[in-house]
Amino acid sequence: MQTGAEVIAGVGLADRPRKSRWPARMDLTQSLSGLVLALFMWGHMFFVSSILVSKDFMWAITKMFEGYFFFGRAFPGIVSMVVFGVLVIFVLHAFLAMRKFPANYRQYRMFIGHKNLLKHGDTTLWWVQFVTGFALFFLATVHLYQMLMHPGDIGPFESADRVWTGRWWPLYLVALFCVELHGGIGLYRLAVKWGWLEGKDADASRKRLKAAKWVVTAFFLVLGVTTLAAYMKIGYDRRDDPGGRYTPAWLVNPPQAPPPWWWPSWMRETPK
Amino acid sequence: MTNGEHRKLKISCLRYNPQEPGAAPRMQTYELEEADGMTLFIALNEIREKQDASLQFDFVCRAGICGSCAMMINGRPGLACRTQTKDLPASFTLAPLPVFELIADLSVNTGKWMRAMSERLQTWVHMKSAEVDLKRIEERMEPELAEEIYLLDRCIECGCCVAGCGSARMREDFIGAVGINKIARFRLDPRDARTDGDYYEVIGDDSGVFGCMSLLACHDVCPKDLPLQTQLAFIRRKMAALGWK
Amino acid sequence: MNVVYTDVLVIGGGLAGLRMAIGAKRRGHAAIILSLVPAKRSHSKAAQGGMQASLGNVIKGQGDNEDVHFEDTVRGSDWGADQDVVRMFVNTAPKAVRELAAWGVPWSRVRRGDRDVIINGQKVTITERDEAHGTVAQRDFGGTKKWRTCYVSDGTGHAMINTVADRAIAEAIPVHERTEALALIHDGGRCYGAIVRDLVTGALVAYVAKATAIATGGAGRLYRVTTNAVICEGMGHAIALETGVAALGNMEAVQFHPTGIFPAGILVTEGCRGDGGLLKDVDGHRFMPDYEPEKKELASRDVVSRRMEEHIHKGKGVKSRFGEHIWLDITLLGEHHIKHNLREVYEICHYFLGLDPTKEMIPVRPAQHYTMGGVRTDYTGESPTLKGLFAAGEAACWDMHGFNRLGGNSVAETVVAGMIVGEFIGDFCDRPENAAAVPMGLVREFLDRERAKLDAMLSGKGAEDATALRVAMQEIMTAQVGIFRIGGDLERAVDSLQKLLVRSRNIGLRYRARGANPELVAGYRVQKMLKVAVAIAYGALTRTESRGAHSRQDFPRRNDAEWLRRTLATWKSENDTLPTLAYEPLDVRKMELPPGWRGYGSKDYVDHPDTPGRVAEVDAIRKQAGLDRFALQAKLMPYEHLLPARFRGQNERIDERFPQAVAKRAAS
Ligand SMILES: Cc1cc2nc3c(=O)[nH]c(=O)nc-3n(C[C@H](O)[C@H](O)[C@H](O)COP(=O)(O)OP(=O)(O)OC[C@H]3O[C@@H](n4cnc5c(N)ncnc54)[C@H](O)[C@@H]3O)c2cc1C
Ligand code: HEM
Repeated sequence: MQTGAEVIAGVGLADRPRKSRWPARMDLTQSLSGLVLALFMWGHMFFVSSILVSKDFMWAITKMFEGYFFFGRAFPGIVSMVVFGVLVIFVLHAFLAMRKFPANYRQYRMFIGHKNLLKHGDTTLWWVQFVTGFALFFLATVHLYQMLMHPGDIGPFESADRVWTGRWWPLYLVALFCVELHGGIGLYRLAVKWGWLEGKDADASRKRLKAAKWVVTAFFLVLGVTTLAAYMKIGYDRRDDPGGRYTPAWLVNPPQAPPPWWWPSWMRETPK
Repeated sequence: MTNGEHRKLKISCLRYNPQEPGAAPRMQTYELEEADGMTLFIALNEIREKQDASLQFDFVCRAGICGSCAMMINGRPGLACRTQTKDLPASFTLAPLPVFELIADLSVNTGKWMRAMSERLQTWVHMKSAEVDLKRIEERMEPELAEEIYLLDRCIECGCCVAGCGSARMREDFIGAVGINKIARFRLDPRDARTDGDYYEVIGDDSGVFGCMSLLACHDVCPKDLPLQTQLAFIRRKMAALGWK
Repeated sequence: MNVVYTDVLVIGGGLAGLRMAIGAKRRGHAAIILSLVPAKRSHSKAAQGGMQASLGNVIKGQGDNEDVHFEDTVRGSDWGADQDVVRMFVNTAPKAVRELAAWGVPWSRVRRGDRDVIINGQKVTITERDEAHGTVAQRDFGGTKKWRTCYVSDGTGHAMINTVADRAIAEAIPVHERTEALALIHDGGRCYGAIVRDLVTGALVAYVAKATAIATGGAGRLYRVTTNAVICEGMGHAIALETGVAALGNMEAVQFHPTGIFPAGILVTEGCRGDGGLLKDVDGHRFMPDYEPEKKELASRDVVSRRMEEHIHKGKGVKSRFGEHIWLDITLLGEHHIKHNLREVYEICHYFLGLDPTKEMIPVRPAQHYTMGGVRTDYTGESPTLKGLFAAGEAACWDMHGFNRLGGNSVAETVVAGMIVGEFIGDFCDRPENAAAVPMGLVREFLDRERAKLDAMLSGKGAEDATALRVAMQEIMTAQVGIFRIGGDLERAVDSLQKLLVRSRNIGLRYRARGANPELVAGYRVQKMLKVAVAIAYGALTRTESRGAHSRQDFPRRNDAEWLRRTLATWKSENDTLPTLAYEPLDVRKMELPPGWRGYGSKDYVDHPDTPGRVAEVDAIRKQAGLDRFALQAKLMPYEHLLPARFRGQNERIDERFPQAVAKRAAS
C-alpha cells in the first residue's frame, strides 16, 4: 500500500506495473458473443418457423443457405461453415461465461441460499441463466455437431423425420426453452449491464426492458413450440416411410405444378 | 397512529457468538408486543433491556444516516433503525449481513471490510499538488457537478449492496457496488488527478468491475437509493474501453 | 501486559479526532485513532445543515468577514466564550473549508444569476454575482448576521467525514475500531495514554503515547430526548473527569435544538428554518415573530427552543398521544427544494413519521442537542492541569461556544480545532523533554485497576440493573435539568443523581461474558455517565443566573458581575458523589467585544464592573482614524501570535482580493 506524502499529490501512480487488459477484453467478448448468439437465435427461429408458412417456403430457405440462389447450385458445405462459425462463437461464449459459474460446491450452496433468501427477481433470473446455459452445453452441442456433419439433411421432410422418427423432439423441446429463456434474459442483462436504452429514469426503463424481455420470450416460445409441433406432425405422418428428400412439386413436374408467386422465374431445375 | 390492539410480534434472531467456545449458530425467537411507530431499533433495544441482555446488534445514529445497523430483515438487507415493524409480518427473522466478518448475533464488522476496500481502491482525491494555499479563494466548480458528486458521495457504507450481491456471496474478493460507486465518484471529481488507466489498475479485473454480473440487487436494496445501476454500467463501459487501448 | 506504543493517541474518530490525527501525522508523529465505531459512523456524520466560515461568496453573505463571524459567535455564546479562541477560530474557518474543498468535499456551489429564496415567509428573488459562480455557497442559519453556513446539500457532516476519514486512510493512519478508552493513564500531572477495551474480544490493552487527545463528541444520551447518536454518552468527558486532575468546563451549558422530530428526537436541520421554514402552533399561527420580531425563527437556538416551550406552556402546543408539540412548516419551500436541498429531511419524515413534508407539517419539539461543556483546555487544546492531555471538538471546552453555540459553528470547530490542536500536538511531541520514558509501573497499575473494576462487575453479586439506572438518570436530566431550570428542581436532581451514582457502584449483570457483552458495557458506562450528569446538574444549580442555553427561571437575568466565569468541575476522589467546583473568571478588560445585549432574547442583564470602562476603551480605539479592520482588530485584541504559523494570515474573498489577484485581473 502506498502511504503518506507519496499519495498526497497522487504521485507514485505512474510507476506501477500495468494491469492486464485481458479481463476487459474477455468481458466485452462474453457480451458480444452472447449478443451475436442471441440475435442468431432470433433469426434461426424465424427461419425454422418458415415451415408454418409452407413446406416449399421452408425448403427454399434451406436452399438459400446452401447458396442455391447465388450460384444456381446448392452447396451444403456453406451451412457447415456457418455452423462452424456459430460453434466457435458458442464455445467462446461458453468458455467465457463459465468464469461466472459457481466454482465449487461452497459457492454453489452460497448462491442457492442467497437466491432463496433474497427472493430478488434479477438474482433468480441469473440462476435460470446459469442452469439453462449449463444445459445448453450439451443440448446445443449435439445439435450443432449434427448440423456440422450433415448440413444437407435440412429440409421439410429431412428435419421432420429427424424430429419424429429420429426422436430428436425431446431434445429440441428442452433446448428451445433453454435458449429462449437464456437468450431473453441475456439480452435484458446486456442492456442493464452496459446501460443501453437507459434514458433519463433508469428504474423506469429497467422495468420496461424487463416487460419487453418477457414479451419477446413468450413470443419466441409460442412460435418455437408451434414450429416444433408442425415438424412433429409432418414426421408423424411420414412415420411409416421416413427418409427421402423433399422436392417441391413444380420442380419435379413442371409445368403441371406451377411455382408459387415468390419463386424466381429464372430458376427452374432441381437443385443438386 | 392507531390505538387499541397491538400485534404480538415473533422475532427470530440468529444467535451466534464465535468468541464463545463451542457455540453454534441457532435461531432464537423473542415475543414482544408491537407499539405505535415501532422501529426495529426500538424493538431490539426493548428485547435487550427486558428479555435478553446478551443480544448483540449495532446502532449509532438511529436515524438512517450512519449505516451501522444494516442486517438481513426477513432475508433482505436493510437498515434496522428505519424499518417499521408495521411493514413486516407478525413473525419475521433477523440475521446478520453475510460476507462481512461476524462479531456476534446481528453485529458484523462492516468497518473492517470498508477500510480494506478503501485502501484497495484508494478512495480519496489524489490531489494535483500536495499543498493548496488555504488563504486563496477556492478553486471553482460547476454547481451541477458538485451536486452530481454529492449524489454518489451519499453512500453510507452500510454493506447492504454487498450483502445483496450474488457475486460477492460467491466470490468474497469482489469489490461490490460500494467500491465501484466510489470509483465513479472520484472519476467524476475534477480534483482527482487519476485517469481511467489509474482506475483500471484497481478495478479492471474479475474481482473489480468485470466481476459484476448485473444482478442489480445492490441497486434494489440500497437504502440511500443511489443510482448504482447507472454507475455500474458507466464504469464498466469506461473500463472495457481500455481493453483496446 | 498488552501494550501498544504510539506518539499520539487520539480517542475518537469523528471529525475532530480524524483531523487532529492527520495534523500530527503530517508533522511526522505516529498517530493511532480509537473509536467505538468505524470512523465514518461517528456522529459527525449526522450534521446536516452546514459549517460556518465567513467566505462571503453568496450575495447575502457579501460583507461577511472574520469580524462579523467573531461578533456573532461571541454574542451567541452570551459572552461565555474565550474571545482569543473565537478569533483563532474565525480566522481559520475559511481555511478549513478551503482545505476540505481541496481534499474533495463536494460543497454546494454558487450559481450565477437569479434564484428564488424564501426569506421571512416571502418569496424573494436574489441575484448571485458572476464572479462568485462556482465558489462555495452559503446558506442562512440561526444567530448570524450574514449568510455564512457552507453546506453540502443537507449532508454536510456526512460529506465532510467521508472526505476526512478517507484522507486519514490515504495517510495510513490506523483507526482501531470498536475499541473504548476506559481510563486515562496519568500520574497526577502528566497523561501517558489510556487503558482501552476491545469491544469485540473484551481484551484490555494499554495504549502508551506522548500526547493523548480526547475527541469523543457530545454527551446527549444523558438525556432521554436527544438528537444525538446512541454512542454520544460523554465517555470522554467522564474519563477526563475521573483523572481527578483534568477539569470539565461549563458542563451546565447544554443546548437544546428547536426541531427534533416528535417524539423520537431525530433532528431535522436548522437549514429548514434557514431556508424559510416556519414554526406554527396549534392554530396554525406563526408565533415566533410575536416573541422575536427581529430574528424570528432564526434567533439563536437557545432562544427559539425556549420560546417554543413557553408557547406550549401557554396552551398553544399541539396535543398528541405522546405529549405536546409544535409544527414545523416547510411546505412553502416547494417540492423541488425539499427533495434536492433538504433530502435527508424528506427521508427522515418519510421513514420515521410516515409523512410527506412537501405536503404536511412536521411535528417537532426541542430536544437535547449539543454539549457546550467539555474537557477544559487552553488555546492550544491542552489541559492546563494535566500535561500531555489534549481535547478538541464537542468533547472539549476550548471555549469558543461559551453558553450557546451557533448552528454550523460546531462542525466548523471540529475541523478548525483539529487543524490547530493537531499542530500544537506536533509541537508538543517535537519537544525532547516530552519524550521522557513512561513509568511502566504506572501503566501496569492502571491496567490492573481497570481489570479489577470489570472483574468486580462481572463476578460480583450486585443487585442494581444498569438499564434502570440509566433510564432514571435520563428522566431526571430531561425533566429537571432541561430547557428551563429552577432551584428546587435542580436540588432534587442533584440529590437523586447522587443516589443513583451510589447505587451504580452495586450493579449486577445477568450476562457475564468477558468479550462482546452489551450489558457489561451498559454497566460501566452508566457509572461514568452519572458522574457527568451530576456535574451538569450541580453546575446548573450553583450558577444562579441565566446565560445562553442555561436558563434559570428563578434567576432570569444574565449576571456578569458575579457569573462572568467559567465553571470548572473536577472529581477529587473515587468515593465522592459530587464534583468539586471552581471558577475561572473571564477578563472583560481584554475583550474585543465587551458584554452587552445579544441582539435577540432578553435585554435584561447585570453588567460586570469592568464593562463600562472597557466599552469606553474599545469605542475610543474604534474612533481612531485611518485604521483598516485588521489594524483595528490587532489594537483591540491581538491574537495572531497564538495561531500556529501555518494558519496565520488573511483570507481572500471576492470583495477582498489579494493584490496579486487584483493585478492579474486588471492585466487580463
Ligand atoms: C443531529 C445532529 C445534527 C447536527 N448538525 C450540525 C450542523 O449542521 N452544523 C454543525 O456545525 N454542527 C452540527 N451538529 C453538531 C456536530 O455534528 C457535532 O458537534 C460534531 O460533529 C462533533 O464532532 P466530534 O468529532 O467532536 O465528535 P463525534 O463525531 O461525535 O465523534 C466522537 C468519536 O469518539 C469516539 N468515542 C467516543 N467515546 C469513546 C471512547 N470512550 N473510546 C474511544 N472512542 C470513543 C466515537 O466512536 C466517535 O468516533 C449536529 C449534531 C447532531 C447531533
Ligand atoms: C454452452 C452454452 C452456453 C452457456 C454455458 C452459457 C452461459 C451463460 C452464462 C452463465 C451467462 C451469464 C454471464 C454473466 O452473468 O456475466 C451467459 C450470458 C449470456 N448468454 Fe449464454 N450461454 C450459452 C449459450 C448461449 C446461447 C446459445 C445464447 C444465445 C441465445 C446465449 C446468449 C447469452 C447472452 C445474450 C448473454 C448475456 C451476455 C452477458 O451478460 O455478457 N448464450 N451465458
